[in-house]
Amino acid sequence: MSVITPEPATMQETPVTQPAAPAATTRSTLRKRLGFLRPAYWLPLAVLLVGLGILWSVTARDSPYLLPPLAAVGEALAANPGFYLANAWATLAVALVGLAIGFVASFVLAVLVSELPVARRAIMPIAVVLSVTPLVAIAPALVVAFGFGPEPKLIVTALICFFPILINVATGLRSVSPAVLQVFTTLHASRLEMLWHVRMPSALPYLFTALRVVFPLSIIGAVVAELSAPGAADGLGTVISVASSNNRLAVVYAAIFCLAIMGSLLLLIITAIEDRVLHWHESRQGAKN
Amino acid sequence: MQKTDPRTVPSTAASTADSISIRGAVKIYGSGAGQHVALQNVDVDIKRGQFVSIIGPSGCGKSTLLRLIAGLEDADAGTAEVFGVTPERACAAKMIGLVPQAPALLPWKNVLGNVSMPAKVNRRADTLRRRIHGHVARPAPDMLDLLNKAGLADAVHKLPAQLSGGMQQRAAIVRAFGVQPDVLLMDEPFSALDEFTRESIQEQLLDIWDEQKTTVVFVTHSVSEAVRLSDRVLVMSARPGRITASVDITLPRPRSQSMLKTAEFHHFEDLIRDHLQTAWQENPMTGSTPIAAGAIR
Repeated sequence: MSVITPEPATMQETPVTQPAAPAATTRSTLRKRLGFLRPAYWLPLAVLLVGLGILWSVTARDSPYLLPPLAAVGEALAANPGFYLANAWATLAVALVGLAIGFVASFVLAVLVSELPVARRAIMPIAVVLSVTPLVAIAPALVVAFGFGPEPKLIVTALICFFPILINVATGLRSVSPAVLQVFTTLHASRLEMLWHVRMPSALPYLFTALRVVFPLSIIGAVVAELSAPGAADGLGTVISVASSNNRLAVVYAAIFCLAIMGSLLLLIITAIEDRVLHWHESRQGAKN
Repeated sequence: MQKTDPRTVPSTAASTADSISIRGAVKIYGSGAGQHVALQNVDVDIKRGQFVSIIGPSGCGKSTLLRLIAGLEDADAGTAEVFGVTPERACAAKMIGLVPQAPALLPWKNVLGNVSMPAKVNRRADTLRRRIHGHVARPAPDMLDLLNKAGLADAVHKLPAQLSGGMQQRAAIVRAFGVQPDVLLMDEPFSALDEFTRESIQEQLLDIWDEQKTTVVFVTHSVSEAVRLSDRVLVMSARPGRITASVDITLPRPRSQSMLKTAEFHHFEDLIRDHLQTAWQENPMTGSTPIAAGAIR
């Protein structure tokens, strides 16, 4: 870190040479933002992409049932962009609502589990068993139980997001250093005050670690649910299952392409939020200065 | 531990209300062969406004004694009272300011946010405090002014991670002073700092202490630190943990950097070293790494 201020015995000894914090942040962010323009940054990726594209095209030419030609995938997308957008939106909506449900449920439980040892002993074993059970196996059962409406999709998505958040937040809430706890104990801070002022902020880095996993995971949950409900009306998962049974490989890959883009966008969004919220965290300090 | 309500204790309250008093404190960790007597019948009396240091080798129970006063630990026998009330009640009234060995700042709050934090929790403390016998009401300090005095004027809006260890510990001290505590408990707060930083921070601590007139209990393993800061130094010995000597430091105040080189200063340092040595020879630690008294600065 470059901004360790020299030890001043009195205040006069530290001249105000540091630029104001906001200005410094803007400048370094700008430098960071423009970094991708340097060839050293993008060239390796570009070379690899071109290589993979050639490999794909050669394979597609020789055996069109293995991979569709890239042009065909592009045509499928270009011919009917509204179709993909509508279905992508349907999947995204399921993913985000399911994620929200899973988030609220797991966060509440994480607080409960970290505050009450009794709750921890009761809930954690069930949560662990649930987390190792393949969701793909549960999805069809839920479709039977709840039909082709949004319910089974939301439940599957919520379930897949549930465990990473629960385990990370529960760990984060208990990650406060003993010295900090002692200081607040001698101030006689209430449990609620401790939770709000100390434990929850301490859990934020853990929460974001979970969210970075869970945002893309929510799309997986939504697609798995859609694939398990063959009669579902929309969603990219449905598009894939219908198109693959009709041997329309180009459409399948167009839908897969959309899913990949959606997952990446979600990851970008959550990383941007994390950079904002966790600017104080040690993992950010090095990059910032 | 004996629970004392200040409103219902008539005569004894008057005698203990103006001091921190530990009576026959016993603290034992573990059981059987692994048993370790951290405190054996320890009696301590610390008058209001005094700066008292506790010095001794590692494992002599000096931190345990501090934690007892802070209400972070209960004695197995004996009583602890902080100006006439139990440590627990003293905490509820925010009479205790703690400065641990690590600065223990909240990394997401800037310095000002950190030192203002105690005011945001346990808001009922003020009401409780007014009802405690012998309590002297003082106005809440201006935190910016305190930060200024601690040499943190330029660091007010910085995050802890952007500060050096010495600056972080200064912030922790300001945070503890900020609640206007009746007693400031400091557990080897400068042990992780370099000599140079330590001496400058000691000076600032004395400056602020001189203004606030807070009682301070300071745990240290540095003889010169104890002599420079204190009105009285309690020497402790290990296994079992007990107080073996109490030395009044009669050096005049304010104690500047230059006093460290005077003969009187050395006289007190030697006196305390002798006490530590004696305690050591009477009861050398058996079977573990010999931490000679000479290792104590």
